[in-house]
Amino acid sequence: MNHSEDLLKRLPNDIGGQAAGRIEQTDHALSPWEKRCHALADVLDYHKIINTEEKRRGVEALGAEMMNSLTYYERWIAAFSVILFQKQILVPDELARKMAEVEARFAEGLRRGD
Amino acid sequence: MATHDHHHEHEHAHPKAPDEAPPGYYEIMEIAVRELLVEKKLIEPDEIRRQIEVLDSRTPALGAKVVARAWVDPAFRARLLDNGRAACEELGISIYDDTQLVVLENTDKVHNLIVCTLCSCYPRAVLGLPPDWYKAKAYRARAVKEPRAVLQEFGTHIPDDVEVRVSDSTAMVRYLVLPQRPAGAEDLTEEQLAALVTRDAMIGVVRVQNPGTDRP
Repeated sequence: MNHSEDLLKRLPNDIGGQAAGRIEQTDHALSPWEKRCHALADVLDYHKIINTEEKRRGVEALGAEMMNSLTYYERWIAAFSVILFQKQILVPDELARKMAEVEARFAEGLRRGD
Repeated sequence: MATHDHHHEHEHAHPKAPDEAPPGYYEIMEIAVRELLVEKKLIEPDEIRRQIEVLDSRTPALGAKVVARAWVDPAFRARLLDNGRAACEELGISIYDDTQLVVLENTDKVHNLIVCTLCSCYPRAVLGLPPDWYKAKAYRARAVKEPRAVLQEFGTHIPDDVEVRVSDSTAMVRYLVLPQRPAGAEDLTEEQLAALVTRDAMIGVVRVQNPGTDRP
């Protein structure tokens, strides 16, 4: 099987059976935002806005390069954003404006020392 | 999170202590997505906090309780193997998502191992969130191809005459391994048995050890 056929037959998440190195028996306690992101995934599922399989496919649709560059929960929130755009629940500009607002709010909070 | 059960002197709720660094790009994205969904009334402001409480309440101690009950109560064990979800609910453990729970029993002839090759599906309602190695490539890639070698890396040797069965989880179907009760644990109470059962034994990468006999 040549390289392009291999890419077509194995999407980025489909790694069962591939060769891989030693299992590093690592773990870490989730940071507060990672835990909120996990809770957001559950709440989106409860409300039938994004289910588990849509989330998994959304992460895969980020592509191999992004999947390898982002951490686990970074991939989730990036995938949620894209899926919410696709479902026309959010528009990109609206998210960009809200992110700028959140960033400014934190900068202001830090400046005032609260 | 801007909930009303916190008291803030300023108009904006602020989750960071003053000496902490500002949030990174993806944390800002998480906050922004959440706030937009609340503004659009698609989720309630308090739901994320309440779900975090649910997540925090789920640890491998719940799975251990289920395993210990199955060891001491054959009728419960039969119900657990028949319908994992209903049996857990009998013990007051709600399966908070829309998933099936299939319980896989280890015997003298069969050793079970669970994995999610595509992502990180895991019996979260009874074990809490998975460890990082369960979500990482090496375990997901190799568990289905060379499970005995994987088990060996966890210090678990499975004799050749014992079949190793690997079950690959999905969004809808989650697995939990019912480990074998260790030898020499006949006199222990249900609570003492539960204390022997570890997360990794319920994933299937190790056996349950009895410290009284296995580790002199």
